[in-house]
Amino acid sequence: MNTNYQPSGDFSRLVPLSPMQSTPAETRPDASFDTHGTTVIAVKYNEGVLNVADRRATAGMGVMYDRAEKILPLDDCTMIAISGSFAKSIEIARYLRHAFKYYQRSQLQPMSLEGKLAEVSRAIANNLPMAMQGIGAFIPVLSAYDRDENEGRIFFYDGMGARFESSEFGAAGSGSSAIRGLFDYIVRTKKPFSQMDLQEALRECLVLLDIAADLDAATGGYAKILPSAKAATKEGILTLDEKQMQNALRQLEDAGTLSALPPVHAHKTDADVK
Amino acid sequence: MYSPYDFNQNIAHRAEYAEERLKEGMPVVALSYDQGVLLFAVRRSQRKIFEIYDQLMYAALGNHSDVEAVRLAAIDFAHQEGFARSPDDVSIQRLVGFAVSPPLKRSFGDPMSTPYVLRALFAEVGRTPDADAFFVLNYDGEFAEYSRCAAIAGSIPAEDAMVAKLREDDSVPDLAGALKRAAEAWKSAFNPPEEEESTQEDDDPLKEALKDSQLEAAVLERDTPRESKFRLLREDELKDVMAELE
Repeated sequence: MNTNYQPSGDFSRLVPLSPMQSTPAETRPDASFDTHGTTVIAVKYNEGVLNVADRRATAGMGVMYDRAEKILPLDDCTMIAISGSFAKSIEIARYLRHAFKYYQRSQLQPMSLEGKLAEVSRAIANNLPMAMQGIGAFIPVLSAYDRDENEGRIFFYDGMGARFESSEFGAAGSGSSAIRGLFDYIVRTKKPFSQMDLQEALRECLVLLDIAADLDAATGGYAKILPSAKAATKEGILTLDEKQMQNALRQLEDAGTLSALPPVHAHKTDADVK
Repeated sequence: MYSPYDFNQNIAHRAEYAEERLKEGMPVVALSYDQGVLLFAVRRSQRKIFEIYDQLMYAALGNHSDVEAVRLAAIDFAHQEGFARSPDDVSIQRLVGFAVSPPLKRSFGDPMSTPYVLRALFAEVGRTPDADAFFVLNYDGEFAEYSRCAAIAGSIPAEDAMVAKLREDDSVPDLAGALKRAAEAWKSAFNPPEEEESTQEDDDPLKEALKDSQLEAAVLERDTPRESKFRLLREDELKDVMAELE
């Protein structure tokens, strides 16, 4: 029995989150060395926050795994959607889960949302030396159900750990830049995500993911393997099962949203054709 | 010189010191039910039942500071192990047998330290009631494993009476049934058959205790969609037990 227990509830003092630091490499490691998660999407809806992610993990130009789970619950009201280095982000998610629980159990009170967010920032900042060497960089999107305010909240981070709160949506990963503007378009032309119900928000996310898959080679669509979806709600983390995902896809199919693109007829327009 | 006589004397004094302080402790009952594991206690001012890890909880009687020291040491060990390996590798056997008991024993035998004053009960929920495990840990580091039910109290005869009461029925109850059995067992700690002077014999010891204390009960749920299996029971879940006391 260790009687020198530390009373702060700080898990990092118990298990130091060591940056896997090494001497700078002569050459940058090959991109295929580090498996990456690709596109993750978070949007608010009327009862919380919905996260949708494709299941693809890539290593360089290759597909490493097509059933990767990239939305990880941290506790009953927060979850993290990961993009970037798979090894590092899984490790960090495991660390955060333990850190939150350790605090709650030892201090007999849950860690505040602010405290959890700071913990995530610290984990990202801690990883910076490694990220600077070109491997192990990861960018999470954190979704939480705020039980004090009774609303869902979305936070995203940069590579150094700076935290930003988003009012409606967040996305990260290789396919996210291709669809960034689309979120705004939906909010302006349809309605804010926070006013949609779960089904409606899910349908929008699936279309966004499909577009990301069209425009980004590393993002998997949903034709072969269903994306995963989880929601942070007042009651806890809700995992949408296969049936619910198929239902949403069928609705899109029926509405014609999926086959909306007309076939393209290209004409030969060579300059030297008379 | 420190003689063998001094050693025995010292151990006896220390045991007496601890026993004397534990005598007034309010008992704790543990038993398996179909959906999980229940701990049932009566508390005065401080909380009595604590979550240690995903599948582990703990309750103790004794000096508050010692109860806290063991609790925090157990939490530290469990989380270190759970992170370094996996939550499945944190077992009640390793926690009590290797991490908590030996240092407790060392401290008990050390003539230069104040002995810990506590009697602790650890509970682990398994996949089935038969896979649940209970460990009772004493202030001198001694521990014993029980299955299906266990109890701690201020004295060994009281503990024996509680366990005997719990073993009268070896079917697996539901939560309501488990609460009822736990309350009965709790009361039996106060009815050693020989010393009942006929004053106020009909007084229910639980009812008596609740005049200035509160019921506290917690469960580890076998199958729950929530992140943590541990849950303190709400007042409305305890109202059946309370109603029977009216």
